[in-house]
Amino acid sequence: MAPLLQVESSTKRFGGLLANREVSLAIEAGEIVGLIGPNGAGKTTLFNCITGYMHPDEGRIVFDGADVTRTRPERICRLGVARTWQVVRAFGRMTALENVVCGALQRTNRIAEARARAGALLEFTELRGRGDMPAATLTLADKKRLEIARALATRPKLLLLDEAMSGLTPIETAAAVKLVRRIHEELQVTICVVEHVMEVVMPLSHRVIVLDYGVKIADGAPQAVVRDSQVIRAYLGDRRAAR
Amino acid sequence: MARLALVLGTLAAILYPIPLQIQGTTYYQTVGFLVLITAMLGVGWNVIGGWAGQFDFGPQVFFGVGAYTAALLYVKLGVEAWLGLLAGVAAAAVICAVLTYPLTRLRGHYFAISTVAIWMIAQPIGATWEYIGAAQGLFIPMKAHAGIVGSAVALQFSGPTKALGYYYSALVLFALTVALMAWVERSKLGFYFRAIRDDQEAAESIGIDSRLYKVLARSITAGVFAAGGVLYAFWALSVFPEQVLELNWSTLPIMATVVGGIGRLWGPLLGAVILIPISQIMSTTLGTGPLAGRGIDLIVYGLIIVVIAAFRPTGLLSLPWARWFGRRRPAAA
Amino acid sequence: MTELAQAVVNGLQMGFLYALVAVGLTIIWGLMEMINFAHGEFLMLGMFGAWWLSAGFHLDPLLAIVPIALAMYLFGMLVYQQLMRRVQGGDPFTQIFATIGLLFLLQNAVVAGFTSDYRFVNDTFLQKLGGVRLTLLGVTFAVPLLLAAGLALLLFLALYLLIERTEFGLALQATSEDRDAARLVGIRPQRMFAVAWGVGAALVAIAGAILVNFFSVYPQVGLQFTVLAYAIVALGGFGSILGTLLAALLVGVIQSVTVVYLPPAFKDAFVFASYLLIGLFRPQGLFGRF
Ligand SMILES: Nc1ncnc2c1ncn2[C@@H]1O[C@H](COP(=O)(O)OP(=O)(O)O)[C@@H](O)[C@H]1O
Ligand SMILES: [Mg+2]
Repeated sequence: MAPLLQVESSTKRFGGLLANREVSLAIEAGEIVGLIGPNGAGKTTLFNCITGYMHPDEGRIVFDGADVTRTRPERICRLGVARTWQVVRAFGRMTALENVVCGALQRTNRIAEARARAGALLEFTELRGRGDMPAATLTLADKKRLEIARALATRPKLLLLDEAMSGLTPIETAAAVKLVRRIHEELQVTICVVEHVMEVVMPLSHRVIVLDYGVKIADGAPQAVVRDSQVIRAYLGDRRAAR
Repeated sequence: MARLALVLGTLAAILYPIPLQIQGTTYYQTVGFLVLITAMLGVGWNVIGGWAGQFDFGPQVFFGVGAYTAALLYVKLGVEAWLGLLAGVAAAAVICAVLTYPLTRLRGHYFAISTVAIWMIAQPIGATWEYIGAAQGLFIPMKAHAGIVGSAVALQFSGPTKALGYYYSALVLFALTVALMAWVERSKLGFYFRAIRDDQEAAESIGIDSRLYKVLARSITAGVFAAGGVLYAFWALSVFPEQVLELNWSTLPIMATVVGGIGRLWGPLLGAVILIPISQIMSTTLGTGPLAGRGIDLIVYGLIIVVIAAFRPTGLLSLPWARWFGRRRPAAA
Repeated sequence: MTELAQAVVNGLQMGFLYALVAVGLTIIWGLMEMINFAHGEFLMLGMFGAWWLSAGFHLDPLLAIVPIALAMYLFGMLVYQQLMRRVQGGDPFTQIFATIGLLFLLQNAVVAGFTSDYRFVNDTFLQKLGGVRLTLLGVTFAVPLLLAAGLALLLFLALYLLIERTEFGLALQATSEDRDAARLVGIRPQRMFAVAWGVGAALVAIAGAILVNFFSVYPQVGLQFTVLAYAIVALGGFGSILGTLLAALLVGVIQSVTVVYLPPAFKDAFVFASYLLIGLFRPQGLFGRF
């Protein structure tokens, strides 16, 4: 069977900068894939290309049998890809419930049905009781959960989480990891998580892909990837430089 | 509580001209007509401005499109005003959609200026196009009508009941507009408009076609403006470019919306009820004195807007009314 | 052919005047990203000031530039500190509304004080040169307009140097790019914004003092210039001083060439049609970088 998502040697340039360089990868239905790499490695850029906010300069992206290389974001969402944002983008002046209703309206035109589904998803993401609060007033952790609920409301096949855990406290991070597992198990959604904290991704992911300076340098089981010398150099080198 | 206010408000709006009419004054009926037309346009502008969050400075173009469409149909083909109104609304919505779709590539300030651009292009077209009467425009001849019903059907009132007739016509159109927009607000459209306003990229990520919904929002606004234009044209018995393409047709409703509360269904009505009578009161109190016609009313408008923008940009309706009145009346929502 | 060349030359000369009107907006809107719909009213105040100084004190508008620029510099700072500072952080719409309110306030305060009558400034230095014309290759240059264009160019150059070459200009740019970072290196953003408003108001008022040599003065004169100025700044790529100049020249040329072929009513329409066309193909403006 063909993979759910297939990226074929995608290249994205910003002027002279190569943000993604001939990146190829595949995500099978049912997987949790971790996408890691130091800051500026090109992870968000890859997400932007997959979700249609940018189009690769070269290469091809196929989702669920459809070529989406030049497709607009809203159509890609309708095909079954949902995402969250590294810097949270909730609809600040709408309530938490309304945020999720907007997502649910993707699959129904009936407001009552959308509300019911949104309520259930707030429950699922443990945001019960926050439904009537303006999204702008939520805490960062709650906003990130809200983004996940809103994305899930569109009934995605593939969910792309861009740093869903960065900026969270250890307790909040643990809760977020648990939420990702529940989305995978209970809703049967295929997931790709971007993180640069290795300790979070490793136990969660079935498979890990590593980007460095826009190039894919590793792709495999978490235990194998942590032992890869290139990864160690890219990662630990970067970390030391950062401190 | 809200329901009670609605019922009382409706009753007041229906009944207040009656004693005046019996006394033989028509002045306040005309003021009421202007208040309602401004409020109605404000409710329309709220769709693109308050909900979809796109600054539109050019809806007066569609006020003109509506007025010209209905006037042309009436003058050249003898089509009745209310049918002309439907045609005007449809024409405005379609023309707006065609013009706006390419513009939705532009964002923020660039979009706002592009709405001005269309207005700047519409003005000389209106002023030079012979078929629609160029700068002279079109005159709408009065026809004889059988009684009140005939007048109401033709949207042509004259004599002592002119002001009253147009007041009630405006009230009907305003009520229809509010009812329709209340429905829009609670429908998928309303949710999608506000999502685009709050974050366009995020809206696209959940499958909202931002360009399509911006076009829809602006076309709804255009439709409301067109209806207002038709009403105004039949009241004024004429349509000419300097009158219907006047910038005040957007600034006054926008100011009313801001004063009352942008993005709130009833905001424009509150704003119009406050602003429009100021002009009228000023022109009566200043009479023919030295300050008559010196824009004192507009100075007051300016002050009100500046104060609102500086201290309560969400408008008067956003003040904590429920808390203030809730203490005395626990039933308040 | 000469007709067209003449139109282009006339347009270029007008373009310099437009550039002057627009450049104040480049600072406030383009660089500091604040909206000022009362920009044309600042211009109108400059024009009225020049008229008043000329009618009351026989001061030539070119000399009136100095007191007018000073007064409007202070006025611009005042507007920022008393009004715009309050609305700066919030929704961009609020800035629009605040300055629309200001527009109504200023325009009608002048109506109240001076009525809506048209006024003319007569016997100015530039007007006295009105008869003098230069002819070059069959194209006539009106000397007053030429001098005004030269003046505009000079002011432009001064501003360009101020923004691009002085420490103050760099601080201004730094503030516009990142307020918090600017604060870290010891710049006081509030102060920078106030000065930017002062400079913007002074520049457009200077433009007003020059324009009274060619246009009549009345309280509503600002709007036509405001809309053009916004189109120019957007075309010029938002905050680029050189871009503003080029866009203004382009606008002047479009206007005067349009009038050769079409009724004068269309001269602004073609400017805005060009704005739309360019906007559709280059949403970042004609001379914008990104
Ligand atoms: N819109 C853009 N324009 C220019 N450069 C960009 C843009 N987006 C990202 N970049 C650059 O591309 C590189 C990769 O960025 P990004 O994909 O955000 O990395 P990551 O998400 O892995 O931290 C960085 O050097 C970044 O500065
Ligand atoms: Mg990133």
